[in-house]
Amino acid sequence: MKFDKFFELAKAAGISEAEISVYNSYSLSVSLFHGEIDSYSTNNSSTFMARGIYKGKMGAIVSDVYNKDSAELFVKKIVENASVIENDDPVFIYKGSEKYKKINTFNKELLKIDVQTKIDKLYDLEKKIKEADKRIVEIETVGYEENSSSSTVMNSHGLKLTQKNNSFVYYGGAVAKENEQVKTGFDLFFGNDFSKVDIDALAKSIAKEALDQLGGYQCDSLTYKAVLSPDVVKAFMSAYISSAYAEDVQKNSSLFVGKLNQKIASNKVTIEDKPLARTIFARGFDDEGVATSNKAIIKNGVLVNYLYNLTTAAKDGVESTGNGVVGGGSKVYTSTLYLEMKPGKKSQEELFKEVGNGVYITSVQGLHAGLNPRSGNFSLQSTGFMIENGKITHGLDIITVNGNLMDLFNSVTAVGNDSKEFISGMKCPSVLVKKLSVSGK
Amino acid sequence: MHLKEVNIMISKKLAIDVLNEMLSTGADYAEIFYEDSSANGLVIENGKVSSSSFGITSGAGLRLLKENRSVYGYTSDLSKKGLFALANSLNKSFNSERLIKVTKLEKIKGKNRNVITKSYDDVPLQDKIDLLREGIDEIETNKDPRVVRYIGSFGNNHRRVTIFNSKGKYFSRETEFARLVYSIVCADENGMETGFEGPGCQMDMSFFKDKAQPRKVARKAVDTALLMLTAKECPSGKMPVVIGNGWGGVLFHEACGHPLEASAISKGLSCFTGKEGQYIASPIVTAVDDSTIPNEWGSIDIDDEGNPGTKRVLIKDGILKDFMIDDFNGRRMNREGNGSCRRQNYKYCPTSRMSNTYIDNGKSTPEEIIKATKLGLYAVSFAGGSVDPTTGEFNFGCSEAYIIRDGKVCEPVKGATLIGKGEEILKKIDMVGNDLAFGQGMCGAASGSIRTNVGQPTLRISEITVGGRGGELK
Repeated sequence: MKFDKFFELAKAAGISEAEISVYNSYSLSVSLFHGEIDSYSTNNSSTFMARGIYKGKMGAIVSDVYNKDSAELFVKKIVENASVIENDDPVFIYKGSEKYKKINTFNKELLKIDVQTKIDKLYDLEKKIKEADKRIVEIETVGYEENSSSSTVMNSHGLKLTQKNNSFVYYGGAVAKENEQVKTGFDLFFGNDFSKVDIDALAKSIAKEALDQLGGYQCDSLTYKAVLSPDVVKAFMSAYISSAYAEDVQKNSSLFVGKLNQKIASNKVTIEDKPLARTIFARGFDDEGVATSNKAIIKNGVLVNYLYNLTTAAKDGVESTGNGVVGGGSKVYTSTLYLEMKPGKKSQEELFKEVGNGVYITSVQGLHAGLNPRSGNFSLQSTGFMIENGKITHGLDIITVNGNLMDLFNSVTAVGNDSKEFISGMKCPSVLVKKLSVSGK
Repeated sequence: MHLKEVNIMISKKLAIDVLNEMLSTGADYAEIFYEDSSANGLVIENGKVSSSSFGITSGAGLRLLKENRSVYGYTSDLSKKGLFALANSLNKSFNSERLIKVTKLEKIKGKNRNVITKSYDDVPLQDKIDLLREGIDEIETNKDPRVVRYIGSFGNNHRRVTIFNSKGKYFSRETEFARLVYSIVCADENGMETGFEGPGCQMDMSFFKDKAQPRKVARKAVDTALLMLTAKECPSGKMPVVIGNGWGGVLFHEACGHPLEASAISKGLSCFTGKEGQYIASPIVTAVDDSTIPNEWGSIDIDDEGNPGTKRVLIKDGILKDFMIDDFNGRRMNREGNGSCRRQNYKYCPTSRMSNTYIDNGKSTPEEIIKATKLGLYAVSFAGGSVDPTTGEFNFGCSEAYIIRDGKVCEPVKGATLIGKGEEILKKIDMVGNDLAFGQGMCGAASGSIRTNVGQPTLRISEITVGGRGGELK
């Protein structure tokens, strides 16, 4: 799609530097209920984001449509929005990095597999979950989603960058019941290599998630040694690392203010942002067009890097770390691209043994309300198991785990070797923490 | 204003042709949801305007139903070619003879309860900045040194929707919403706390002059954050909890509201499935989902499938009476939709959702409720929560809470999370106040993020599990 008219009109209106990003996506989603397709959806959509610098301030507009009248509207809105900005943050339309790593996250083979084959596996998944155990009384849903997208950034400096990717996910939820107690389990499999799909394993995992929670009851309200599953570590890690965003550090609303190059966590903790690792989340450039790189954020417990976009980098007199996110407004945010905690050498069983007597927490809920990334405090509904004499005994029901993120990552005494990758672009293993406050009875 | 100049409306003739194309393979219902909406957002951070944004959401969502199957697709290409291409890719899901042919479309009208006397499109950007700045001035005057970051944001949304369906009906809805938010971060040597207040409405700017004055809203956000800095950790364990009015209603929204949506009930996936006519709450509890309250944040005139918004009495004196139902999920329940069908925008397949959901007034006063509590928690405000409708397990996090001792409100506490099971908690409500109030929020579920009110009077739960780091309650 030609945007020449937009760039011409922008220049004429006094917008000194301008940019357009186009995001195109195709998606397919299918779900089954009781052996029949109950929802089917296929969609093509585009999003256009335009930004421009006018009298030293950034204006922006985002739209689902770009037609013959859009160039004029986009320019008008950029000028209007830029004209009210008061703060002095330096703003940038990027000229380009010297080098970009070529990334290929688009699997052509996925397109060759016909839709019916993809749907057939859903019938199989539903059947296998139901057959896993007689206590599985209902399948909430099984579904398949596939997404392929391309994003292009182009600007008045002549920079033009494109990346394509595709991926799919199979998911399912089951309901288990025993003695009037009802529990649900959910799991998913994602990737872009269809040959790796293992419906048997997924069905077993979904059923196990639900079944394991049956017979659970509240433990005493105490402080315990705890093993946190990868799902739980991921939830905490994501909130914890948001304190590494330079914007929050600069505005004094981060747990990591003044802590660069200091030890802030246990020396067992190493967390990196790895956008160039060979994963389906790999990206060669961020939303501002800055080349990405792999970097440690916490290394053996020491905070070694803050994460920057062009604006926050300029304020600190450093280079952008390629973590800029453009949301559709004039402000640029920050985000990790692929957050990974370095695994250790111990299996989960070895971690349980090391705990001796304690708890194994398998999930946490209600993060948007019960975890405050600014203060680091959390109080979250959880599920899990009791660990007695180094082994899992009974499930835990209606408990919360409470604490503070800084204390939590400081009390990691061992890291597992059971790394799990998550659909949100993160990867981490189980960890052992020497103290976790649990509220139950 | 460009939205009137650019002619991308779908004509009745085109709508009929597209509907018939969709219905050609035997669907029993077809619907075109066309949307042309815009949104503005302003942010003042630490005293200076830091962001001003504008966005257009424009496209069509096509829905087909056949018995218990639903097919959905969306596109921003509103030409005849684009709509037909989508209609054809969707109707491939069915393989039967045509059941319906649409020959004409009749306009239906709503009651027009949510009137906007002056559009936000006609309010200059500077006026919105000035409004927001009133609250910023309040924060900056004699600014407490513990306030380290303060953000005010003002967002308004203008939605224009036209829906055509195979029942031979079409209707248009034009609605406007606005929300004022102040978000504060305070810090001292003990740590960091946040405060948040975000009133919103479905009416014009007068709401912010009369009901939600920026100075008062900003003051409340700052005071809450500063108070929580001084608060001790909340004790944990099972205890009586008095829940404040207004945002306290998030309890009902999570514990009961979601499990009463037809999307869960119709598939037997709710803890309340099959319990109509039974006691699911204490006999002093009556709860309602009401879309008809004029100009309220969650109100709907006509829902996404052309059914009028209604007042649904969900629970009457403790007995389960009704649900939020959309036509499609209603098929599994032998019920028609009752005006609860909603979606975030054209990219989402609609389903049954809440609107303004609240527990109704009871007979006690808030003072009586506190006085009657020997030892417990007074939870005034909440950050939000979540629920698993199948098991009924829910949680919500308190953003402002106090200990009650001998019938008096005592020291503030922080970090409390209340958890439990919907079915059990509702039965443990043992006092209901007479000071009903609402709070505005965004509710996320399968059909996207939508505007809902939560609400209730002050009420007491005789026993609920409280999670906190403060040890045992004394």
